[in-house]
Amino acid sequence: MRPYLTATLCILAGMLSVLSLDAQEQTVTFPRESMKLRKVFEHIEAQSGYTVAYNEGLLNVEEKVSLPEKGSLDAVMASILDGTGMQAIFQGRMILIIMPVDAQKDLLDKMAKEEDDQFVNLLEEAIVVGYGTMPRREISSAISTYRTDERVEMTTQSPEGLLQGRIAGVYITGSSGTPGSRNRVSIRGIGSLTAGNEPLYVVDGVPISNTTGDAGGWGGEALNSLTDIHPDDIESIQVLKDAASAAIYGSRATNGVVLITTKSGQKGRPRVSADASMSLAYIPSLDKLAVADADLYLEVQNEAIDNYNRQTGASVAHMVNPYPDREQFSWVDLMFRTAVTWKANASISGGSDKSRYYISANARQNEGVVIGNRMDKFGVRANVATDIKKWLSAGINVSGTYTHNNRVPDGNMGTSILTHSLEHRPWDTPFRPDGSYTIKDVDLLHYNLLQAIREQKVYNRSYRMYGSGFLQFSIIDGLTFKTSVGGDFMYAEDHIYYSAKHMYGNSIGKLTDARKAYTSIIVDNILTYKHHAKCGLSFDVMLGHSFQKDASSTASQTGQGFPSEDFDVNSVAAEYLDVTTGLSSWALQSFLLRSTLNYRGKYLLTLSARADGSSKFAPEHRYGFFPSVSAGWKISEEDFWKDGRTDLKLRASYGTTGNQGGIGSYAYQALANGGYNYLNENGIALMTQGNRDLKWEKAHQYDIGMDLSLFSNSFKVTVDIFQKDTKDLLYNKPTSATTGFTMKTSNIGSIRNRGLEITLGGDLSYSDFRWTGDFNIAFVKNRLTSLTDDDDILTTDDYHALKVGEEVGSFYLIKMLGIYQTDEEVPETLYKEGVRAGDIRYEDVNRDGRIDTVNDSQFVGSANPLFTGGFSNTFKWRGLDLNIFLTFSYGNQLYQTWTGGLRLGNGQWPAQRSEALARWTGPGTSNTVPRAIYGMMWNSTLFKTTRYLHDASYLRCRSLSLGYSLPSGIMKKAGLESLRVYLQADNLFLISPYRYIDPEVNTSLDATRMGLDCMWTPQPRTFSLGMTLKF
Amino acid sequence: MKKTGIIITGIVLLLAAGGCDRYLNQYPHNAVPDDQVTYEHAQLLMNGIYNIAQYKPTFNGWALFDIIGSDLIRPGASGVNTPKLLVEMAIAPNQSIVTSPWNGFYAGMYQINRYISIIEGLPESPDKNEYLGVGHFFRGLYYYNIVARWRDVPIITGNETEEVGQTPEAQAWEFVVSELRKAVEYSADFTHKNLVSRQAAKALLARTYLAMGRKAEAAALAEELITDPDFALADFETIFRGGENKEEIFTFANLIHEGRVNMSSYYYTKESPVGGSYTFCPTQEAMDMFGPSDKRKDISVDVQSNNNVVNKYCSGDAGQDPLYMIRLAEMYLISAEGQGLQGGLDRLNELRKFRGLPAVSPADEEEFLDAVLEERRLELFGEGFRWFDLVRTGRYERKTGLGTKYTVLPIPARELTLNKKLKQHPLWDAASAMYQ
Repeated sequence: MRPYLTATLCILAGMLSVLSLDAQEQTVTFPRESMKLRKVFEHIEAQSGYTVAYNEGLLNVEEKVSLPEKGSLDAVMASILDGTGMQAIFQGRMILIIMPVDAQKDLLDKMAKEEDDQFVNLLEEAIVVGYGTMPRREISSAISTYRTDERVEMTTQSPEGLLQGRIAGVYITGSSGTPGSRNRVSIRGIGSLTAGNEPLYVVDGVPISNTTGDAGGWGGEALNSLTDIHPDDIESIQVLKDAASAAIYGSRATNGVVLITTKSGQKGRPRVSADASMSLAYIPSLDKLAVADADLYLEVQNEAIDNYNRQTGASVAHMVNPYPDREQFSWVDLMFRTAVTWKANASISGGSDKSRYYISANARQNEGVVIGNRMDKFGVRANVATDIKKWLSAGINVSGTYTHNNRVPDGNMGTSILTHSLEHRPWDTPFRPDGSYTIKDVDLLHYNLLQAIREQKVYNRSYRMYGSGFLQFSIIDGLTFKTSVGGDFMYAEDHIYYSAKHMYGNSIGKLTDARKAYTSIIVDNILTYKHHAKCGLSFDVMLGHSFQKDASSTASQTGQGFPSEDFDVNSVAAEYLDVTTGLSSWALQSFLLRSTLNYRGKYLLTLSARADGSSKFAPEHRYGFFPSVSAGWKISEEDFWKDGRTDLKLRASYGTTGNQGGIGSYAYQALANGGYNYLNENGIALMTQGNRDLKWEKAHQYDIGMDLSLFSNSFKVTVDIFQKDTKDLLYNKPTSATTGFTMKTSNIGSIRNRGLEITLGGDLSYSDFRWTGDFNIAFVKNRLTSLTDDDDILTTDDYHALKVGEEVGSFYLIKMLGIYQTDEEVPETLYKEGVRAGDIRYEDVNRDGRIDTVNDSQFVGSANPLFTGGFSNTFKWRGLDLNIFLTFSYGNQLYQTWTGGLRLGNGQWPAQRSEALARWTGPGTSNTVPRAIYGMMWNSTLFKTTRYLHDASYLRCRSLSLGYSLPSGIMKKAGLESLRVYLQADNLFLISPYRYIDPEVNTSLDATRMGLDCMWTPQPRTFSLGMTLKF
Repeated sequence: MKKTGIIITGIVLLLAAGGCDRYLNQYPHNAVPDDQVTYEHAQLLMNGIYNIAQYKPTFNGWALFDIIGSDLIRPGASGVNTPKLLVEMAIAPNQSIVTSPWNGFYAGMYQINRYISIIEGLPESPDKNEYLGVGHFFRGLYYYNIVARWRDVPIITGNETEEVGQTPEAQAWEFVVSELRKAVEYSADFTHKNLVSRQAAKALLARTYLAMGRKAEAAALAEELITDPDFALADFETIFRGGENKEEIFTFANLIHEGRVNMSSYYYTKESPVGGSYTFCPTQEAMDMFGPSDKRKDISVDVQSNNNVVNKYCSGDAGQDPLYMIRLAEMYLISAEGQGLQGGLDRLNELRKFRGLPAVSPADEEEFLDAVLEERRLELFGEGFRWFDLVRTGRYERKTGLGTKYTVLPIPARELTLNKKLKQHPLWDAASAMYQ
């Protein structure tokens, strides 16, 4: 943080030399003998028309000063600044209050003795608000800021990962522990139904595509393209939560906007910062998934067969262990490992009078916990800006990234590692006695996972460049025009090669080579006018136009038949199974307006409006209009407010935002598609029905908030309550298949989200000891408020349904009530179907004596938490710093889709040990785990039931870090600024009633498919050691 | 200098505000707007219809009568090692084996209906008739499959978007007949097994009559095919291994890059030289049903590393096998069944002799029907006949020990939820897929 102060001082000093120093003869009068300095400046501003600029950190404006009744402006300024160590400089219509050069030196010396970031508050925070910045004090909408802290986030791979648990109302769940996997981000609840539920990401003014980072050739997990934004380059992240702040992004802002600002250079000598670290990661608590050994497995299987034989009179033979001498083989131990990650990054920043630069490079070699999984990533960034003329400045920010990701089967693939590691019999091993692979159906129940990994060559390579360049003209005083061109270019290559020995290799070798080029171009033209009127009213107006076009081009070929494993390009393939290419584009044109009014820092009003036209909608529904208004009242600025150590601001806002994400590029168009060929002749088919009535999804949001700061910023409290109504929800609505289509993109209804967000901050020091803490918690409740077409219940998948009054994300399942303890308890209708004592008792909602999905499903819980949040604590004592960061979520439920270990005799699946031991074996033995029964799905896979629905509340220690900075005296002698060594543990512990490994998972970004645990690779526990060097 | 700034600003603003609107019209590159499709595109649309008709029902759609016909089980870890368990597992209102064919047949039906309505706008010409013949043939083929599975079903011929209720089974069969009659009327004569022909339409009509119990009409049409010089019985080695033959009446080409339905992958094992995912395999009874002299045996079933497999489709994961829809041998069997013991026995024994089997001499009609059905089982194994043969002759429950409800497929649960006019078949009403 020190560079900022130093740089600012230098800039101010630099300005000194170019200023004209004409004495100011204008006179000012004052009504009272003494006033707070702040009030004095307001009087001066009102009477003279000058604007007084000062730094609240350097000048205590709450202090009262004595005043003459009347005096010349320069005399008055000199008098009131006497004793503050500051001086007043007149420039244009500004009065700058700055520190003389001598005083700067003193301050710098003082700084060297103390901790860096004590000076954070010395500079007033400039808040990035979208197409501009505003001082924090002028903000009247709900914007949260996260400033990066290199102490705690070194293992985070992507910018949204940084935000986890940091900001009230921003809820983030990782999808898996595989390097490069995606996070699900929701801001203020469920704003949309489709996968467009993600917020908009804007890096230095350029909207970044969060399309997947792969080319779509892989059947497993999609990759997170946001990992191309390197966390170490990030200066701050602002989250625009309410509609008033987000509305300036209009059509894309329904789900919030994440504005990422990267670091920039400051005037001064080149400063170098370098960081290197090494981490070890492993999956904790794998023993929770322990599989039954051979004896227990056979006990269960044969008990199941006995039960079946007794009940049906059949005579299925018992199962025997074909290898009674073999020890139990652990596939989990074989497939998982302790993974090593190396990471390094370095940056150089600095600047001259007219130019600033920041350049950085980073490298990361990230092993996954599954053998063979590794992601390598390299990135560079350059941010440069220069003042060409007094009236013209220019700059460019650009970042490039290269990623090579060796992938292993994940997601819901047939060879997905974790689930299938648990589905081999206790005696199954990867090799036959002759050394060849054991294979599915011949030796094994399931795929040989070792074979899957050894006989594949699967990687994703991606190349990403994004950035922007701008020219800024100062036309007349207060009027500036900025034109900028931004671009986001991504090229991804999926190489999926299976050798002839691989189970997916078609016995002759198979290669899918898929490529994707994604380009996004955006042109912004922004005109800004700022004016400070004599009466104390200042206003600024921003007018703008923006045009964006995204295009995607894809190509994929699958070839098969290769001379040997050494050949892995499709040019040598014997034949081609599939060749596809794609080309698509969408465009968005926007007109922007924002105006901010500020009366003496007390009353704030911001109006904004945006009109967007999108190519995804038919011309008659093309444009959407998104206005907003927000107002703030800084009560502590009022004359009646006596307590100078307390600040209080009240805010209220209303606005509308839109959404067009998550629907196809040509969603409104009914199309006849090519490629439906027969006998090698061209054919077309009417495959896309379109929907010309499709219109913008819009959210109307109200927000009331309060910012309170106590004891001169020692404690801060921010509270917001909001209500967000999203209307005309875009959704691929399920339709009866007899219409020819199983879904139709439609506007289907509306959702209401209501919430309360509380953020608390504390900063206390005692002698050398300092504590800073940040706590946030958000309560969000959503419910579906209407469904068009009067649908009663709209089932969205096997687990979820939509119903007016219910939460989006609600589970719609058959409810398990317990276990029938005796045959007499079983209703006759079910007894006839084979249900007996020991089987699950389901709730028969319509009381017809039978259980079926259509009539007996009910709403039984929700994937949405009641509240979520985070708590970060930093303790510092001399060179030592300790940070502990906790995140929590309460009240969300998770459906465990993996049933392999829970079938207990239905099929030959090995049993989960804990489940097998807890099974029902006679009256009173269990009311939660059913009996073992062969050939019957009643207890396992017949229904989606609450047997698999679990409480997934948790408290996680996301990170614990301990650092030591070497004393500055030693550093100075070595010619260095600072050296910090640190130890960090991520995911150190997890407290949760969830019975599987990780309650924090998701398999889809789609809001209607939340809360499914398909047992993808869980988040690892990571221990890291590293150092940061600055000079 | 300031002037320069103002001028530049002005120009940029003008450019920005002006020329962007037209860029908001974005169109795909692999498609044209639906409403631009006219009868000029008839040939393209017809090719599209073949493609759609071939792949939309998916494997589950075309293979269903084998999967639940009691000659197949599931290998591997599933433990579904008797036909009874397989059927109980597979047939339920929310199982994909029920839902994917329903979705597929109706999705294809939408295309066929749109196609027919566009073709009907064509000026009269021989081409138009040929196009229409293809449309009505596929509509007949699809509804035959839909009615045989679900009995009372929505019959959709236009592009109804509102909910459509069910047509009773008997009327639905009449609709199939009327479609196939149109197909017979409009279609061109046989030129190639991969194209729809008048003969193919007749053969399918014969199959439909048999399903309806209109035996004489079925036999008469079958005889027309048997006596047609374009067709003759052929060895399995040629039919099922890509040889030239005159037995195939209509077969989907099923090319690998044209939406292939890969039967072989479901039946072959990973141990085969061409791979396979081995989802279904023959029961031991099915393996043993072919007598030693039966020339069909080796092509019908095989053993790969101790695993029993269906062998009619041999390309494994990698290749392409045709989708056999109608063969002449079926006409022999329809003729036999249609005529009954008196007239039909000769046709039955003719076929048996060709396949290397001795003649049979059933004592009565019942025994004769048993003999015909057994012959259908051997001849048409793996080609999608068995379940419906057992069901339409009332033998399914006795043969499998399964409840009556398995003689009809349940309407998918999803459809019942989305279309309030649909009623679940009474046998499935609120029933679950358990023992019965």
